[in-house]
Amino acid sequence: MDMGNLRRIVLDVLKPLEPNIVDLVRKISTLRGVEGVNITIYEIDHHVENAKITVEGNELSYQELSDLIVENGGAIHSIDEVAAGKSIIEEVATHQDRA
Amino acid sequence: MKKNLIRWSSIPEFLAEIQNYNKIVGIAEIARRYFAMNAFDGVLTTIGVLAGNYLAGVRDLSIPIRTGIATSIAMGISGLWGAYLTETAERERELLELEKVSLIDQSDTSIGRASRFAVIVVSIVDGLAPALGAMIVLIPLFLDSLIRNPVLSYVLSGGTALLSLFGLGLFLGKVSEKNLIGYGVKTLLAGIVAIAINFLLGAE
Repeated sequence: MDMGNLRRIVLDVLKPLEPNIVDLVRKISTLRGVEGVNITIYEIDHHVENAKITVEGNELSYQELSDLIVENGGAIHSIDEVAAGKSIIEEVATHQDRA
Repeated sequence: MKKNLIRWSSIPEFLAEIQNYNKIVGIAEIARRYFAMNAFDGVLTTIGVLAGNYLAGVRDLSIPIRTGIATSIAMGISGLWGAYLTETAERERELLELEKVSLIDQSDTSIGRASRFAVIVVSIVDGLAPALGAMIVLIPLFLDSLIRNPVLSYVLSGGTALLSLFGLGLFLGKVSEKNLIGYGVKTLLAGIVAIAINFLLGAE
């Protein structure tokens, strides 16, 4: 069965301070199909931090990504953005988005 | 789910995993602390055993050797047991705190495994360090058949003990990354004080 070509995943993750994001970003970059990863921290607490993890590539496996994050102690709070197909389509501005 | 301690299929992978564990829970630092503290204990306790035997007029060295070995075994067991229980309690509490804030079961993550691995390493270090310290001090007594003079063996053992204490001080100095000799002198002083008090109290 064709699963569709997953190209981009953006996750909101709550993770422990260790393993730190340098180690985590390297681990994610070794996953199958990953072309690039970005992890941005937007909140730090006593034991944990909130991270926005953006992964882009070809034939990404959401399962492998989520397993790796959980294995490193993180909890996926939400899937904030996804893109799939032959090319990545950015979100399009609509009338509702006007300020 | 099976809570396996380590998952690896080759030695480099195993080493990488240990390095990873060390990064997560800082095993090297706490093992270093336990090592210094307990080796120090081992050496000083053995100084006590030797001084006691010497002052009691024991010249048959098989007696301080047996007492020394028995003491080092007891210290080793005490270190192993004590560290295992305290470290398990502390690490479990830490993990529980992390689970409370992250809202997920951390026991089968790399953090949970690192935590359990740390307990084992630290317990072994804590058990071996005092036994090792004691055994080093006893070496001159083992060489009795070569030295052939019990009093000289006692003196050499005392010297070895002071040397080990100084070495331990240097190790601590290296950890602190400054004042190597200062630390050496401080640990050496502990040995001298122990010997001096024993002799003052034991003098007839």
